[in-house]
Amino acid sequence: MGDVMQMIRAIIRPEKVDEVVDSLDNGGFCAFTRIDVFGRGRQKGIQIGPTVYDELAKVMLLIAANDEDTDEIIGIIEDNARTGSFGDGKIFISPIDEAYTIRTGERGL
Amino acid sequence: MREVTAVIRMNKIQATKEALAEAGYSCLTATLAYGRGKQKGLYINPLGNVKPDSKKAAIRFIPKRMLNIVVDDESVSEVVETLMRVNRTGMIGDGRIFVCPMNDAVRIRTGERGDDAL
Repeated sequence: MGDVMQMIRAIIRPEKVDEVVDSLDNGGFCAFTRIDVFGRGRQKGIQIGPTVYDELAKVMLLIAANDEDTDEIIGIIEDNARTGSFGDGKIFISPIDEAYTIRTGERGL
Repeated sequence: MREVTAVIRMNKIQATKEALAEAGYSCLTATLAYGRGKQKGLYINPLGNVKPDSKKAAIRFIPKRMLNIVVDDESVSEVVETLMRVNRTGMIGDGRIFVCPMNDAVRIRTGERGDDAL
C-alpha cells in the first residue's frame, strides 16, 4: 500500500454543516466523522454588549482522504463554509500512516 | 509514538475497554462522535425496513464512539488487532481505524516527555 492518506480536520460553523456535507457528497466524498466542539480564535471569542462569549459552538468534521483528493476537498469546504466574517473556522491537515476497515480488516480507505 | 484513532459502535465501548485493559493498554480518550461511511447514512422507513436503494438517507449521521489511544511504535499492531477482533460484527457500520504519527507527549503532572509520558 504505497498511497499516502491525509486526515482533514475542518472546524466550521454549525449552520454550514449541511451545506458542506451536501457539496462534498456531490463531489463524491461521502464518509465523515462529525464532532461537536467548542472553540475560540484570535479574536478571543465574541462580545455582545456586556457579555463575553469565549467558547463558541463549532462542528469539527474529520475526513480521511487520499493525498490527491486533499486539495479538492479543501476547496469544497472553503467555498461552502465561507461567510467572510470572523469565525468561519480553520482546516488542519495531518498525515495518516495506516487506515483499516474493521468489518473486513482491509487496509486503506 | 503513534496515535490510534478508532471510530466504533456505541454498544462496543465496554467490551473494547475491557479487551484493551486485558492487553495492557488501559489509557484512552473516548469522545461522542457522529459519522457516516460510503453508504451515506441509514435508510430506514417508518416500518423499519431497510431500503438501501432509496435516494435520501433518513439518518444522515449515526452516533459513534471515537477512541484516541497514544502508544509507542511497537504496540500499534497489537492495539489495532485487539480493536478489530472485538469490534468486528461483519455488518456495515463496524467503523474505521486510523493510525497517525504523534511527535511528542507530555505528562502534565510531572512534566515527563516522550515515551515516559505514556
